Amino acid sequence: MAAPMAISPTRMELIKLRRRISLAQRGHDLLTEKMDALIIEFFEVLKRVKQARTNALRQLSAAHRALSVCLAVVGTIETQQASREARREIQLDASTRYIMGIMTPALRIERVERTVLERGYSIHFTSSALDDAAREFEKTLELLVELAELEESARAIARELEKTKRRANALEYIIIPRLEATIKFITMRLGEMERENFSRLKRIKAMLEARI
Amino acid sequence: MSYKIAVIGDADTVTGFALAGVRHTHIHVSKEETLSKLKSFLMEKDMGLLLITHRTIDDLGEEFKLLMRAKGVLPVVLAIPDKTGYVPAVDELYELIKRAVGARVTEKVGGG
Repeated sequence: MAAPMAISPTRMELIKLRRRISLAQRGHDLLTEKMDALIIEFFEVLKRVKQARTNALRQLSAAHRALSVCLAVVGTIETQQASREARREIQLDASTRYIMGIMTPALRIERVERTVLERGYSIHFTSSALDDAAREFEKTLELLVELAELEESARAIARELEKTKRRANALEYIIIPRLEATIKFITMRLGEMERENFSRLKRIKAMLEARI
Repeated sequence: MSYKIAVIGDADTVTGFALAGVRHTHIHVSKEETLSKLKSFLMEKDMGLLLITHRTIDDLGEEFKLLMRAKGVLPVVLAIPDKTGYVPAVDELYELIKRAVGARVTEKVGGG
């Protein structure tokens, strides 16, 4: 049982409280609806995360395999040298997008895979194992960008969901019970005052009759 | 506007992504260095995506979590396994589901 608020037991306060409780009720209903919608959205995103994660991780391990072969065939120092030469500015497009009022990132990457000549290292001194490794990692990067966007969206939705849940619970378990307790307290107090008044009037009436 | 990609991890991961063309990289050796590099990556305005290996995250510990809580929507930080395929036993995303939905979500095997 929630403790009633410290408030003076008057009719005016009672009317105000009734108004507040109906507002709180409506707020709670809205929040529950929002939560339902968020959960649907959340699971939709999760399904896609799962798919994207499997793909990306498979590609990543393939890339690492190709890199190991490359390190063995070409040599560690040569590979690192080539990797320094292969660097460039990647065209990544990042913006934010709103899913149900939640800010989520939107990432898009343009053409990651390059031809051997575009990569920038000398093809004369390197082996095709290096090309394989570079290509696999370019493919991985593309998948990881997709995965990153989805994971971050899922995280943002989950955060929002948690916040909404906390608010709905606060209304349901703290605010509304407290308002109800206060309303009960005021009605009881008003009734008590009514009865006090009644017996007082009775007594006065008896006294007046006795005097006459 | 074009955004940048950065990679933090072990030497092999960094080499691999450098081969794919990632320019901003850091090889994780000591915690202090990686943390300061991570901070500077997060501070950069046009950083779009930061890839970091799970093992590095484990090494950074609590400080990494604090940084993640403080950052905005961008850059997006994605944890990836390294060449050994190491991923932590507790999946961070599933922890999130548990907290958000209040129930563990499992998938039915064999068409549900």
